[in-house]
Amino acid sequence: MATSGTASTFRPSVSASSRLTHLRSSPPFKVPNFTPLPSSRSHSFSVSCTIAKDPTFLMAEAEKTKAAGSDPTLWKRPDSFGRFGKFGGKYVPETLMHALSELETAFYSLATDDDFQRELAGILKDYVGRESPLYFAERLTEHYRRENGEGPLIYLKREDLNHTGAHKINNAVAQALLAKRLGKRRIIAETGAGQHGVATATVCARFGLQCIIYMGAQDMERQALNVFRMRLLGAEVRGVHSGTATLKDATSEAIRDWVTNVETTHYILGSVAGPHPYPMMVRDFHAVIGKETRRQAMEKWGGKPDVLVACVGGGSNAMGLFHEFVDDTEVRMIGVEAAGFGLDSGKHAATLTKGDVGVLHGAMSYLLQDDDGQIIEPHSISAGLDYPGVGPEHSFLKDMGRAEYYSVTDEEALEAFKRVSRLEGIIPALETSHALAHLEKLCPTLPDGARVVLNFSGRGDKDVQTAIKYLEV
Amino acid sequence: MPSTKIQLRWQPLPRVPERNHRMINSVVFGVPIKCHHRVSDVLSRTNGPSFGSVTSVSIRTKARPFLLGDANGRFGRFGGKFVPETLMSRLRDLEEELDFVLSDHEFQAELTTALRDYVGREMPLYLAERLTEHYRNKSRTTGDGPEIYLKREDLGHSGSHKMNNALAQAMIARRFGCSRVVVATGAGQHGVATAAACAKLSLECTVFMGTTDIEKQSSNVLSMKLLGAQVSSLEGTFQDASSEAIRNWVENLETTYYLSGTVVGPHPSPVMVREFQSVIGKETRKQAKRLWGGKPDVLVACVGSGSNALGLFHEFVGDEDVRLVGVEAAGLGLDSGKHSATLAVGDVGVYHGSMSYLLQDDQGQILRPHSIGVELEYPGVGPEISFLKETGRVEFYTATDKEAIQACMLLSRLEGIIPALEASHALAFLDKLVPTLRDGAKVVVNCSGRGDKDLDTLIQRGMPSSLC
Repeated sequence: MATSGTASTFRPSVSASSRLTHLRSSPPFKVPNFTPLPSSRSHSFSVSCTIAKDPTFLMAEAEKTKAAGSDPTLWKRPDSFGRFGKFGGKYVPETLMHALSELETAFYSLATDDDFQRELAGILKDYVGRESPLYFAERLTEHYRRENGEGPLIYLKREDLNHTGAHKINNAVAQALLAKRLGKRRIIAETGAGQHGVATATVCARFGLQCIIYMGAQDMERQALNVFRMRLLGAEVRGVHSGTATLKDATSEAIRDWVTNVETTHYILGSVAGPHPYPMMVRDFHAVIGKETRRQAMEKWGGKPDVLVACVGGGSNAMGLFHEFVDDTEVRMIGVEAAGFGLDSGKHAATLTKGDVGVLHGAMSYLLQDDDGQIIEPHSISAGLDYPGVGPEHSFLKDMGRAEYYSVTDEEALEAFKRVSRLEGIIPALETSHALAHLEKLCPTLPDGARVVLNFSGRGDKDVQTAIKYLEV
Repeated sequence: MPSTKIQLRWQPLPRVPERNHRMINSVVFGVPIKCHHRVSDVLSRTNGPSFGSVTSVSIRTKARPFLLGDANGRFGRFGGKFVPETLMSRLRDLEEELDFVLSDHEFQAELTTALRDYVGREMPLYLAERLTEHYRNKSRTTGDGPEIYLKREDLGHSGSHKMNNALAQAMIARRFGCSRVVVATGAGQHGVATAAACAKLSLECTVFMGTTDIEKQSSNVLSMKLLGAQVSSLEGTFQDASSEAIRNWVENLETTYYLSGTVVGPHPSPVMVREFQSVIGKETRKQAKRLWGGKPDVLVACVGSGSNALGLFHEFVGDEDVRLVGVEAAGLGLDSGKHSATLAVGDVGVYHGSMSYLLQDDQGQILRPHSIGVELEYPGVGPEISFLKETGRVEFYTATDKEAIQACMLLSRLEGIIPALEASHALAFLDKLVPTLRDGAKVVVNCSGRGDKDLDTLIQRGMPSSLC
């Protein structure tokens, strides 16, 4: 397997590997190479890890999952190994195992700690601005009304109104608070376009924590405004010049830092990807979205939503909305990925549609890889969806048929961006625009009065300059 | 409209016949204009307090002198309706409509829902712990110092308090049957808020903006266009854009509603905008009660024309134990001639339809103001603000560009909130205010907008090299 020049330096503890596609057994063995550890977003990785445990064990696990059947209440999400069916897990070097177990223990104890929960709720309310409204989009509903007057009712869960303008802060705030509880005063994160970096810098300023953001030198040039923002918030932005000087190199550097400073440092991961306990933890911190939605739906129409729609990059905003309703089988869940230039163009980020199972960033999940197990460089006009992997829980929900996944091209997303701005006076983030674009295909199929809740995961101020280049305004 | 240092005598208005809200015939330039109102039975108006206390202009017999303008929109000697005859009947229609909607249950319910679900109200009253601690460590040897709370108007949809007013007035425009809204904007915040509200309510929107401002605020301009508004540029800044917008309105009275963004202009504009912004103060009262069982001790807000300040203050004007502090823009310094400190160094005159303080030279020509907070760059100020100054109810101070930038950087670093440069003026004044306050005093600062729009300005000017 080819590796990039100065990429990860990890050596796995298992000497053999197998590449699993679905449940095929005994493929040729290859010498393993690790990918860099968790990252909220990444553009390209020249190294992919395709290690798996003993395939027969995994097959047994998958059988177990099948035996659990289609009753979601019986599913372990995740089990004690951090697995969602066969997905998930902890594919990390030995040096990080302790930090992850410590994190897991801390997370479980804080879940029942009233003081922590109260403090977190207070910050979400007064600092982040929760609860976010469930807004009935009248003009959008009218737009999808059919000629005979029938059509679904569209509601938008307004995560764009949060402080910093996206759902990301829910998790950042909780993880910073958790780090403080753990006595860690130093926070690191890596960032590509800068959104996750800004959210992390924001919470570090709020809690008086030292913040170091790793960013590829090339990305720093392209995103000078976000770099400035992070520095204004008091974070130190360290440029990474190795490799291609983009996200994957920044990720390697961040991991190197974490391994070296694990006693004093917490790694704030931005999405439901990465090794256990991150997917579970980030999902639970975002689950407030779904919990509020249930209450608001009951208040507004005395029932539950019929369909939930959310965009999927790593999958955090989608899991935040879906998690609460997974056990309610009558609630349909739809994730929308980025099809970039089109699914056949090879330039997209539609992991669940076109990917295969493998291990990336410490977890087993679907990912975009070629026949040699090399990660395919994804593309999307929206930086937040531009990720070659996806959270393991999404892979699980897809395989179980509990959630449906579709994809939307750059062009369709831009059209939706413009359409929603014009119809509702809310400029959506380009990521959110993917979910909004899918309504074009979804709404004609829905019965009259079906209630659709779409996760409006972020505002589009950051994307105005990009969009203007493509749109005729 | 020319300004003048001579105090004009108030001309009494001609008697107006009772309106039945069905069809109004106005004669402008000899051409009859029909303006269709939504049919509303005057006799069935209910006096419901769903939007808090009804402080409509029809109430004239209040003992407290601070409360309101009288029926002709006067606040003491300030205010009034200095407009051409062509606009008088339209303003009267607006007055009637305002009076009605403030007590109409249906309108209030629709507005409250929109403010909650669309704008994201109520805005938190946030205890800025680290800012409080900063001042505690800085200026005190013993004691806890005052507590600093931020009213988070920066969290509202479109990023500032402007939406509270834009939404409500767009609803009124629709009730008038107007298909088109015109506005003038300085930094673009009011333009963006109006464009958004018009998109939501299916109204056409034209925004007038000076070329100087367009250059400085290009991302706001792009946002307005994306939201479907038409942006008309002209030479100059906000004051020129205002004049042009008014001209455009007068030429298209049939179909057009002029949406004023702030508490200036002829009656009923100042009262109307203040009423719609007063939700800020009303929420603050409730939240203060809930948080510490009392009232704020000091309220601080930046003052350009005064809408966010009046929005916070109005609720508390009658509470003598609540201190009200407004902070204007001193730009490059009061002696430099490059500032917007209207109340500090201005004189009384008539501008944009009302009498108020304004920055004028000896010949009564309007001076060009300057501030790094573009929304504060206005040579006038709302008449009610002038009145509150003259009666001594509100204290006014100033903060320079440099002090505002420092305050912006401080809040970003300590609380992770990047405030707008306008709001930063209010925050800057804390440096002087806090050392004079007793321990435990509760200070509420109106964080009237978020600072994403100002990052380019901060990068270009005044940023210390250590941050770049």
